[in-house]
Amino acid sequence: MSWLYLAIAVVFEVAVGIFASKANGFRHLGWTAATLVSGAIGTLFLSFALLTFDVGVGYAIWTSVSGVGIVVVGALFLGQRMDWRKALGIAAVVGGVVGLQLTGAA
Amino acid sequence: MTATTPTATPTAAAATAPTERKAGPWLVLLLAGVFEVGYALSVGGSEGFTLVGWSVSAVVFFLLTLYALSVALKTIDVGIGYAVWAGIGAVGAALLGPVFFDETLTPLRALWLAVIIGGVVWLKLADMPKKRHHRPEHASNG
Repeated sequence: MSWLYLAIAVVFEVAVGIFASKANGFRHLGWTAATLVSGAIGTLFLSFALLTFDVGVGYAIWTSVSGVGIVVVGALFLGQRMDWRKALGIAAVVGGVVGLQLTGAA
Repeated sequence: MTATTPTATPTAAAATAPTERKAGPWLVLLLAGVFEVGYALSVGGSEGFTLVGWSVSAVVFFLLTLYALSVALKTIDVGIGYAVWAGIGAVGAALLGPVFFDETLTPLRALWLAVIIGGVVWLKLADMPKKRHHRPEHASNG
């Protein structure tokens, strides 16, 4: 269940990343509101996940996988380029999460 | 947050004015990272937002970190800014989690955390929009 909560929190954090870039330094009211609402919902689900995960572990997985999500969504839907440098970063995050899971941290 | 961060000692007035102009946004970014650590710890401490004190603290840090980050990113490049901010947040939460809560950071976990955090910092740096001065526009066939 904690992984599900974390996954939902990730989805909303990816939305935060995308909305925040559209909010243009929080000058655009609508996107700013969307950013804050998504951030609030994501935070709530993160707190549910952290009932099980250690803070350091859960937070690191959450923020990093969200970072991966933002890049992947950008490449798939927003016309941004995927290159080997981004792929390497994604591989490190995914590998690290798997490694953490193997230590029984999650 | 205990103020052990290397904040700016007030530079002598005679010192470099241009550097000071550049240092401001970086201090704000550092502050945003510290706020983000406060946010992470508060969310964890809130026990699913059932404890009032930690919950209020989480909301306050949430707004502070967003605000400080947005101010810093007005001057600092978005990719670098996010990388530094995310790095401080994740490292801080990993190191301070065991201080505030009943958690242990084993060397093996620390290693994997370092891989993850290094990965996301690298990713944010790689995600920087490149300024390309020579676009091959002449390649279009008329």
